Amino acid sequence: MHNGWSDAREMISGSDLMWLAFVVLGGTLAGTIIGLAVAMARLREAEQKLFDKESNHESVLDRLKENEYRLRTIIESEPECVKLQAEDGTVLEINPAGLRLVDANQPADIIGRKIYSIVAPEYVDIYRENMRRVFLGEAVVYEFRAITLKNRIAWMETHAAPLRDARGKIYALLGITRDMTEHKQAEEQARRHQTELARVARLSTMGEMATGIAHELNQPLSAIANFARGCIRRLRSGGLRSEELLEPLEEVCYEAERAGEILRHVRDFVRKSELQLKPVDVNQIVRAVVKFTELEARQHRTIVRLHLGNDLPKVLVDSIMIEQVICNLVRNAVEAMAEANSPQREVTIRTRMFGIDEVEIEIGDSGPGIDGSVIDQVFDQFFTTKPEGVGMGLSISRSIVESHGGRVRAESGSSGGTILRFTLKISGQQTSRHERADSLHS
Amino acid sequence: MSEPTVFIVDDDQAVARSLRWLIESVRLKVETFPSAQAFLDGYDATNSGCLVLDVRMPGMSGLDLQERLAAQRIHVPIIFITGHGDVQMAVRAIQAGAFDFVEKPFNDQDLLDRIQKAIARDADQRGKDAQRAQLRALFVSLTPREREVLDLVVEGMSNKAIANSLGLSAKTVEVHRAKVMDKMHARSISDLVKMAMQNHMA
Repeated sequence: MHNGWSDAREMISGSDLMWLAFVVLGGTLAGTIIGLAVAMARLREAEQKLFDKESNHESVLDRLKENEYRLRTIIESEPECVKLQAEDGTVLEINPAGLRLVDANQPADIIGRKIYSIVAPEYVDIYRENMRRVFLGEAVVYEFRAITLKNRIAWMETHAAPLRDARGKIYALLGITRDMTEHKQAEEQARRHQTELARVARLSTMGEMATGIAHELNQPLSAIANFARGCIRRLRSGGLRSEELLEPLEEVCYEAERAGEILRHVRDFVRKSELQLKPVDVNQIVRAVVKFTELEARQHRTIVRLHLGNDLPKVLVDSIMIEQVICNLVRNAVEAMAEANSPQREVTIRTRMFGIDEVEIEIGDSGPGIDGSVIDQVFDQFFTTKPEGVGMGLSISRSIVESHGGRVRAESGSSGGTILRFTLKISGQQTSRHERADSLHS
Repeated sequence: MSEPTVFIVDDDQAVARSLRWLIESVRLKVETFPSAQAFLDGYDATNSGCLVLDVRMPGMSGLDLQERLAAQRIHVPIIFITGHGDVQMAVRAIQAGAFDFVEKPFNDQDLLDRIQKAIARDADQRGKDAQRAQLRALFVSLTPREREVLDLVVEGMSNKAIANSLGLSAKTVEVHRAKVMDKMHARSISDLVKMAMQNHMA
């Protein structure tokens, strides 16, 4: 008896208990429950061992049972979802809070079924990957979108850790899952607000600039019109020497040049003031954009897939501007598919090397595609297929890419849809920041 | 009266020169000024014509100049040239008594028509002003006694009643009355009444 107890103590105390105490003090609920569950599993094993060894150690067993009962009560009454899953995703156990979370009426609705049945299709891969890591021994935290048994869409966050048997083999995943829907909605609201603010700010800056430029251009244009009208009137009424027209016509030319000069200044201003070139990981920009556009994509039931190249060299860009470009292209794709009411809505973003010194970013959609006869015009100013579009998005995108020394292309996908690609120069020893900046102005 | 002149005030010299070229094509006399201050310094209010004024100018704006002219009781008709989207300014200018405004870019015929109308209005105004000044000069030439007689004649009193009222003989009243008619270049009593009323209003 004495021996048996100390065996059990050895098994459940030591580092486990220390860890348990630590996390309890640390206050992380998920950690606490994981700790409790680990302790519980160890208890169960200890109990089994003891039973094998000395089946008459009633009081030890009683105490172990008592412990297990206590742990079980804690887990059962735990307000967060606690569940155990097998490596293939089968749900082994789940507490009442978990049943509520997935909208199950009884345990049989979910126990024995694959967890993937409640994971939104676009998150299945992410979910699998995280499960794989847990069964390799990692503790992970991941978010996913769930479609519950009653088809309710919810955002969930799971803290998952591996459970090991006596021999140290991982036999289950212990997951604590929380419903993040409200939290997500608040976050989205904030983000939407932010995006709207940024859009308004951008529009008003553009508006002010446009007014300023319009005023500046009006001067030479008025002068040209006045000189020309004065010439016409004199020619009509006759009786003037042709050399009298020389001076006003020279003025016309001069004023036209002045108008051109104003436009050149505007272009220089836009280029110089706004490009802040730095080496950046293009995949990082893509991920950031996917975050911004997640909400819109979801609202239009569009799945965004990423196929990002590994070990891509950094590109030398103004990341805000390139973010803007990718954002425009993704939004464009999402809107075009929604507009066309495409049944299958997917945006695929790929990144890869292009030649030896460029990275190519590709945004493909599963929409109706663009007619071959106009595909070369999509990047032109004021070209739009959208009833409310002004046709500026892609043309701005092109000028941004070109100001970075890159190129844009549009083509129809082999299985339908539209593919827009652009290239960016990689940042390297051979192209210093200074040289790059110069070449932008050439 | 001197030939009407179109005064152009625009800080943009190319625009000012182009307006001169355009307006001279209808054989109007043009003078240009590079700023509102230059105009105030160089303008002779006895010149007839109109003012073509750019609303936006550095320093004294078109609207400021309009205010200054009003304060100096210079009533030259003003046509404002406003830029794109300066509706607010145009409204203010009209409320402050501007003759008209054109928005850039403008139609040449439109501008020239407005200039012609403004010049005509100025000529008309100046004619009326001259008449009023002349009338005032005529009244000033009357003696106090002649004015007394005139006032009573205008009120419709007979010579006899006037004589009684002023304690003069009918004969004397007759003489004063003839003198007034003569000095005022009035052909009839009704002429005289009209002049007296005009002078009263002026």
